[in-house]
Amino acid sequence: MLIRIHGGRVVDPTAGRDAVGEVWIEDGRVVAPSDRAPDRTIDATGCVVMAGGVEVHSHIAGGNVVMSRLLLPDLYVSEAAPEGHPFAHAGGSAAWIGANYARMGYTLAVEPAMPPANALATQLELADIPLLDRGALTVMGNDDHLLQLLRAREGKAAVRDLVALSVATSRGLGVKCINAGGASAFKDGMLKLSLDDEIPVYGLSTRKIMGALLDAVEEIGVPHPLHVHCNNLGIPGADESFVATLEAAEGRRIHFAHAQFYGYGVADPENPLTGGFRSAAERITEAMEAHPNATYDVGQVAFGQTVTISLDILRQFAGRKGANPKKWILNAGDAEGGGVVPFLYKPRGPVSSLQWAIGLELMLLSKEPERTILTTDHPNGGPFTDYPHIIHLLMDKEKRDREIAGLHKVIAERSGLCAIEREYSFSEIAQLTRSGPAKLLGLADRGHLREGARADVAIYRDDPDRTAMFARARLVLKDGETIVEDGEVVAWRSGRTLELAVESDKAMVARSETYLQDRFGTGLKSFAVPDDAFPKPDVFAEVACRS
Amino acid sequence: MAAWVKGGATDADAAVEAAATLLASARNAVLAGLCAELSAVRAAYHLADALGASVDPVAGPSLYAELGPLSRTGAMTTTPAEAIGRADAILIVGNAPWDRAIVGDIAGSQATRGRAAGSERVILSLGGPRNGATRHVAYPAEAGGLAVSIAHLRAFLKGNLAGEAAYADLAKRLSSAQYGVVLYDPAEIGELGVEMLMGLIKDLNEATRFFGLSLADPFQGRALLQLAAWTTGQAPRVGFGRHVPEHDPWRFDSTRQIAAGEADAALWLASLPAPRPDWLGTLPSVAIVGVGSPDASGDVADVVFAVGVPGESAGGSLWDERRAAIAYAPASGQTAELSAAGILTAIQERLTQKKAAAC
Repeated sequence: MLIRIHGGRVVDPTAGRDAVGEVWIEDGRVVAPSDRAPDRTIDATGCVVMAGGVEVHSHIAGGNVVMSRLLLPDLYVSEAAPEGHPFAHAGGSAAWIGANYARMGYTLAVEPAMPPANALATQLELADIPLLDRGALTVMGNDDHLLQLLRAREGKAAVRDLVALSVATSRGLGVKCINAGGASAFKDGMLKLSLDDEIPVYGLSTRKIMGALLDAVEEIGVPHPLHVHCNNLGIPGADESFVATLEAAEGRRIHFAHAQFYGYGVADPENPLTGGFRSAAERITEAMEAHPNATYDVGQVAFGQTVTISLDILRQFAGRKGANPKKWILNAGDAEGGGVVPFLYKPRGPVSSLQWAIGLELMLLSKEPERTILTTDHPNGGPFTDYPHIIHLLMDKEKRDREIAGLHKVIAERSGLCAIEREYSFSEIAQLTRSGPAKLLGLADRGHLREGARADVAIYRDDPDRTAMFARARLVLKDGETIVEDGEVVAWRSGRTLELAVESDKAMVARSETYLQDRFGTGLKSFAVPDDAFPKPDVFAEVACRS
Repeated sequence: MAAWVKGGATDADAAVEAAATLLASARNAVLAGLCAELSAVRAAYHLADALGASVDPVAGPSLYAELGPLSRTGAMTTTPAEAIGRADAILIVGNAPWDRAIVGDIAGSQATRGRAAGSERVILSLGGPRNGATRHVAYPAEAGGLAVSIAHLRAFLKGNLAGEAAYADLAKRLSSAQYGVVLYDPAEIGELGVEMLMGLIKDLNEATRFFGLSLADPFQGRALLQLAAWTTGQAPRVGFGRHVPEHDPWRFDSTRQIAAGEADAALWLASLPAPRPDWLGTLPSVAIVGVGSPDASGDVADVVFAVGVPGESAGGSLWDERRAAIAYAPASGQTAELSAAGILTAIQERLTQKKAAAC
C-alpha cells in the first residue's frame, strides 16, 4: 500500500526538515515521493509529523517489575475495557505499557536491566507488550563468572567471549553494567562503593570491571555503547562519581543511565553527608561537552507516588530508610538481584523539587539534545506517561515558571533553572525523543523520516498545550499500519523484540557449561530463550553488530 | 484417546464445542488449578477475561501466605544458588523444608563464594526434626507454634527479651553469621510467620547479611505469579466479571465460590500433576489434564481433554526450583496430540464465534 501524508509540518532534524511537507510510505518503509496515486492519503494539516518515539531506558519487564506490582498493587488504576486488547486497561500490565506508549506516539521501548539468570521470564513479558518493538539490555558486572575471569587476569578475549555468550543466550540488544561490583560488595558487607574502592574477595574495582566491559562491547561491535549505571546514585557528591566514570571511559563509547540522579553536588563541603545537595547540572553538562564519546538519558523526576526499581541492591538497601510507604523488597540474586523501594516525590518537598529542577536543567543546558535522551527511568523518577508534561515544560518557559512558582524555593537557591530562558523547538524534541535514542541504539532505520526508514510515524495536532498534544497522538503508524487514532488504540498488533546478532565462542560455551553445572546443577540450556517458549512465532528480529 | 464429552470418547473439535457451550452458558465460571506450562496459563487468563470468569491457582494457599506479607511489609530474599554458594549459617524453620533436596545440597557443601567462603557452615533448625540425618543444632518450637516462635526469636534478637533462654543463643548465632539464610515453607509457617520472619531478617541486616529463601510450591505457582502480574498487574486470584481484573484473594477462592454456590461452572487446568479438587464434577466442569494422568478419563468432568505434559510430551516454560527462575523444558518424548494452550485458545475462539453469531 502506498501512503501519502501531506499538509503537516514534518519535523526530522536528521534531514534538516522542519516545514510543511510530505511523507510517503510503502510496504512499511518511508519512500521517496511517488508519481503514482497513493492508496491512502492522510491529511495532516495543522499537525506535526515526526518519526515514532524511541525509549532507551524504561523498566517495563523482568522480575523486579513483577515484584513492584506485588508490593504496590494499587499503584496503577485499572479501568474497564469492554473492547480491544483484554488487558490494555489493567494498570501497570504489559498491555497497558504498550498501549500507553503507543498513544504518545512511541513505537520502540527498551528494558535496560535484564539479568541473564532471568532472561526467559523477561523476554516472555516483553513479548506480551503489544504494539511496540522491544529490546532488553543484558546486565553484567556483578556475576561471579565474570569477576572470576577478571580476578584471574584472563585477558580481553575471555571477557569478550563471556559477554558475547551472555548477550546471545539472553537474546539481549546491548550490555549494561549496574554499579559494577556493587551487588557483590553489598553481599560481602559493604554499604558504599566508589570507582576505585576494592571489591571484597575479588580484589577488583568498578573501574576495572567497567573498563573490561567497555572493551568487550567495542570488540564485539555492539551498536549501543555500554550502558552504565554509576556508583553512588542519588547521594550528595554523586556528580563526582559521574565525572570520574566519564573520565574512566578514556574515550570509549559510554552511555550514562538517568544522569539526573547524579546531578547532586555537595552543598556544604564541610558537611558533605549532612549538608544536602545542590544542582551539578552545569558541571555535568561541561563534562559531557568535553567528552563527545558519551551520551546520557535524563531520568527526569515527576511528582507523585512511584516505586523505585533497581538491580543496584547496594543503593536500594541504603534507600530503604526513605521508603514511602514504609515497605520494600530486596533480593540478593544470582548476580545483582534487585531492590524495590516505593517513593513519593513531594511537589512541595525541597529534595523532590530540586531533583525535578536538575533534570530539566540538564536538558535545557544541553547543546546537543541527541546526546541527552528524555527518560524518567520509569518508574524510578516517575511514570513514562509524564513525557508529554515534561516536553511541555521544555518547550514553554511560561509554563515552567508557573510550575516553579508552586514548588519549593530551593529551586531558585540551589539550581540554575529559573534563569534559563531556553525553549525547546520541535526539532530539538525530535532529537531528544527520536533521532537521539535511535542513534544511541544503533538503529539506522528508526528515529527519522528519510527514505528507507521504518514507517513508524507519529502525527500530533499542533496544540499550544503541549501536554495535550503529545499525550494523545492524532495518528500513529507502526510499520505503515495505523495503530492509534485520536489518542486511542485502533488496531492491536504485536511488534518484534530486537536482539543482537552475535556469535558465541565454542570454547567459552564449554567453559560456561561447566561453570553453570557446578553452580546451578544445570547448564546453558536452562538459561536459554528458545523460540518455542513463545506463544507466537517470529517474536525476535536481529540487529547486526557494527562492522 | 484425548477427549471425552459426558463420559464418551470424542474428537477434540467436538469436545472444544462442548466446552465452549458449557462455559458460555455459565453466569459465573471459575478457572482453577493452573498447574501447567506458562503458555497454557497465559491462554487461561485470556479465556477468563473473555468469559468474565475468575482465576484461582491450586498454588494459591502457598502463594498467598507470602503475598499478603509482601504487600504489607516487603521481603528480603536470596536464591538457592546463592544460599549454597555463600551461606555460612542456615536456619531451617519448621518441618517441611527437610523433605526438599536443597537441605541435602546445603548440608553437603561449603560456601565457595564471598566473604564466608571456606568457613564451616552451621545448620540450625527452629521447630524442625530433632533426629534428622543432617547434622544441625535444633531449637524446638514454642507451644504457640512457629509464628510465635519466630516472634520470640526476633524479640531476643532485638533485645526486647533477654536471659539464658535457648532463643537467646540462637539469636547470637544468627547475628554472628556473615551470610545467613532462613529456609522455610510459607504454607507451613503462614502469613503471620512469614511477616515476622521478614521482620527478623531485616533486623539482622542492620549488622550483617541475612536473607529468606522460601520453598516453592510444587504446582508452578512461582511461574504463574509472574505471568499473572505482567498480564493483569495483579497477583493471581482475579475476577473479570466487570471486564477489568479485580484482585480479591478471598472472593475468588474457587473452593469457597463453589461451596457457596456462587460459581456455576468450572474449568480445571492441570497438565502437570496436581490434587484433583473435590468439587470437580459437582458442577458443570471442563478438565484439561495431562496425558497419562489418573484424571485423564471421561468420568472426571463433563468435558475432559488429555493434553501434553510439559517436559515430557510437550515443551513448556516451567518453574525451575533449583534455579528459582523460569526455564524452558522441551518435550523429552513423543509430542502429544493436544496442547493445553491450544485447547484453551480453541475454546476462546469458539466462544468468539458464538458471540458473533448471536449478534
